[in-house]
Amino acid sequence: MADRIFAGVLFLVAIGYTIIAFTVIRAPFQYDPLGPESWPRILGIVSIPCCLFILAKPDVSSLGLPAKTWGRLAALIVMLLVYSYLFQPLGFILATFAFCLALSLMLGARLVTGLAFSAGIGIVGYFVCTKLLELNLPAGVLTIFR
Amino acid sequence: MKLLNLASAFLLTSFVAVPAFAQDVDRPECIAPAQPGGGFDLTCRIAQQGLEKQFNGPMAVTFMPGGIGAVAINLFNTTRTDDPNAIVAFSSGSLLNMATGKYGEWGANDVRFLATAGTDYGAVIVKADSPYQTLGDLMAALEKDPASVVMGAGGSVGSQDWMKAAILLKSKDVDPKKMRYVAFDGGGEAIAGLLGGSIQVYFGDVGEMVSHVGTGEMRILAALSPERLPDPFADVPTAQELGYDAEWPIVRGYYMGKNVSSEAYSQWVEAFKAAYGTDEWATLVKDKGLLPLNLSGEEMDADMKKRVERMAGIAKEAGLIE
Amino acid sequence: MDAVFSGLASGFQVALDPFNLFLVLAGCFAGTLIGALPGIGPINGVAILLPIAYSLGFKPESAIILLAGIYYGAEYGGRISSILLNVPGDAGAVMTTLDGNPMARNGEAGKALSLSAVASFIGGTFAVVLMSFFGPALASYAIHFSPSDYVALMVFAFASLASLVGSNPVKTLLAALIGLMLASVGIDANTGVARFPFGIPDILAGIDFLVVVIGLFGMAELIHLVEQQAAGTLRTLKIDKSFVTMKDLAFTKWTILRGSVIGFFIGILPGTGASVASAVAYGAEKRAARDSSKFGNGDMRGLAAPEAANNASAGGAMVPMLTLGIPGSGTTAILLGALLLFNITPGPLMFSQRPEIAWGLIASMYIGNVALLIINLPLVGLFARMLTIPQQFLTPLIAVLAFIGVYSVVSNPHDLYMITLLGVFGWFLRKLQFSLAPVILGFVLGGLFEDNLRRALSISGGDWSILVTSFNSVILYALALLVVVVPILVGRMRRGRSEGESPQAPS
Repeated sequence: MADRIFAGVLFLVAIGYTIIAFTVIRAPFQYDPLGPESWPRILGIVSIPCCLFILAKPDVSSLGLPAKTWGRLAALIVMLLVYSYLFQPLGFILATFAFCLALSLMLGARLVTGLAFSAGIGIVGYFVCTKLLELNLPAGVLTIFR
Repeated sequence: MKLLNLASAFLLTSFVAVPAFAQDVDRPECIAPAQPGGGFDLTCRIAQQGLEKQFNGPMAVTFMPGGIGAVAINLFNTTRTDDPNAIVAFSSGSLLNMATGKYGEWGANDVRFLATAGTDYGAVIVKADSPYQTLGDLMAALEKDPASVVMGAGGSVGSQDWMKAAILLKSKDVDPKKMRYVAFDGGGEAIAGLLGGSIQVYFGDVGEMVSHVGTGEMRILAALSPERLPDPFADVPTAQELGYDAEWPIVRGYYMGKNVSSEAYSQWVEAFKAAYGTDEWATLVKDKGLLPLNLSGEEMDADMKKRVERMAGIAKEAGLIE
Repeated sequence: MDAVFSGLASGFQVALDPFNLFLVLAGCFAGTLIGALPGIGPINGVAILLPIAYSLGFKPESAIILLAGIYYGAEYGGRISSILLNVPGDAGAVMTTLDGNPMARNGEAGKALSLSAVASFIGGTFAVVLMSFFGPALASYAIHFSPSDYVALMVFAFASLASLVGSNPVKTLLAALIGLMLASVGIDANTGVARFPFGIPDILAGIDFLVVVIGLFGMAELIHLVEQQAAGTLRTLKIDKSFVTMKDLAFTKWTILRGSVIGFFIGILPGTGASVASAVAYGAEKRAARDSSKFGNGDMRGLAAPEAANNASAGGAMVPMLTLGIPGSGTTAILLGALLLFNITPGPLMFSQRPEIAWGLIASMYIGNVALLIINLPLVGLFARMLTIPQQFLTPLIAVLAFIGVYSVVSNPHDLYMITLLGVFGWFLRKLQFSLAPVILGFVLGGLFEDNLRRALSISGGDWSILVTSFNSVILYALALLVVVVPILVGRMRRGRSEGESPQAPS
């Protein structure tokens, strides 16, 4: 079933891709006989039967994950998206601190070690990267560090 | 439960306000709208080193690749329209993109052009043992049959590299659509193609030829400049003097958001004007393979807008846009 | 030949100057650290540290030697996170994860790290030796490789990757198609037309390869770790003290040599770099192996081949840059920029006008490779210890490293969302038994194939016969056929001969 759902989604994407390749992509003029549209057309046309094949003959029936695991994974994705969202405005130190704390606690760290670890990664990471390796990381609201 | 509390605390932090931009140039920053290492990087390095003495703090260079500058122009038209600290590097390629609508809704009137870093010119280059020893030889062959010569450059159809070929053909009323043009991924690969014999003519820049002058492997048939260039290119004729009305300057410079306060804008203009007067600036520009072109402020803004208009005209003639 | 020896002698004099020697070592060390960060490879490492090297005000040869050290160090460092975390350190280290990480999970992290260091050393040194003796000849070979030859090379690459086909060929094909489709997003290099941009300026120029790699591998690995942790199936690894033995080296010696040769020759071609080189080396090695069943589960050959190849290709890429002044890859373009910054023009004239720089740089590559081996072998134990960090801390750390790697180079928060979403996608692919390697290879090879095919056809004015008229391309097509057919024939013959016998141990 899982295979079928995934292949079904890919199938829809492939259909959309192929339609765009046949209708939208067009150069005002070109010097090669293929143009920008031929290659995507070929890819689209080949991928559709592949998806159909998996729809017809799936080999993975279920992902076999309990509901609790799904919950954990959803929480992880939310954390990652929030981390991405906060990374620039809040700055590396604070965003990383919050993210590491949340994730390490979810994975079973004790509060004290989690706090120490997250603060350590945020602060040490920032200074090692910006001062030692000259990488560019956002200072965010902690403007004194930039 | 603990988890839920944490997650909500985590989310709450997202509502911390973003600090407002200061109104003065206190953290100068040059944005190179590309990956490190390219021409935009170089343009920013000129500002960084050339304006070192004009500002209190050092100027930062940041990279913002994506859509050959589309990401940067988008950002400066949505969120950072009045950022007084940031200047964005651009080139003739960016102007061409504005002219041909490659930046979507954003055009030349959506930014405020600030100053130039320098300029370069297009060049028509062949291998040393090419049958085309002069631009006249090449043009004669092209006029007879535009598809008889395989030409190439480092950019796609419609890029400024292609435009060099197109305007040269246009000068003798040859249709650019009839030529044979090969698009390489950057000048390095195109030069390899020329030396390896895949293409016969390469449309490059005068600046990048500095490292190849004197090796005797390639020759420049003509520079697409209004007048002869200084050494080591003093012997290279211009297309103009050979009777072909083809000119392709490659200007490099900086723009800012269109809502930047006039105080901040003029502070930047003054900084550039002060730098233009120094010998350091002149050597800096020369070391980076550019020729001097010192324009800034409103005069420069108007000049760039005129260039965009002219490019739009050429693009329309060449059939790139309707 | 005498000129080479006297040049090298003078070069070693420059490179062995105590200060320069110190710079090589410092560069190698910093490069290893930077390279070990996922997402920051040699290109970005050199680009980021270039302004610093310039502002320190060293003599040109010293600054260039420092940068070369960083370049080599980053190339070595890429394998560390590939092996330990299953997160490729840079584009060239993707194939290293395939067997390197399983080795680490089998308790052989130390062996994987030390073996790959030795393979990198041999690959890197092989390239420098060839470069110093045959540089100009090789460069002229490289530039005569025309677009139609690249098409043939890509066909050969795809053919050698036929060995990656897993249990379900349709899924492998679909995985490769997904990679090809992802690569087709963005502005078309031939006509400048935007394909599938969906109005998002961030993908107008295409999806960055690093974003795809970090997303599909790194973030998917992160999700996988959390899943295992939630299911309680996650094993904590013990400190392993394994190390490469002479026996291992004897077992992989031909693998390393083959990887070095493939890597070097692909590396000197402009436009193809470490990622193509390591992929072809891995595919060819698996194809050539008598017993390839352990590939993907921690086969030493599957680790040694791509590591030898990607370091050899890094050396190979320097050939056209130094001898002709043509940068064949992103990194060498930056090194070229660095040379120009110091008013040195690379090319044939550099060897006569500024021999101390040309030969000093080459000599520093010899020294850099030795230095990296010396630096890396004792550090193996320390790096391997990373795996003993408790999972609740290692997992967030992987995410933070990936975010730093992706953000610090280009500062675009959009990329952070991209890696997260690609990570989810990659995790589903993994769960549904698609392998990820074909996705990545489709991504790398697809663009090169399409661009060069259309370039060749623009050169010929639409005549398809250009594809088969050069000597290079005919040879490559023949090789491609051999790579596909020979293993099948050999397998059939062997099955016929040794009917009923137990499968042979690899010799």
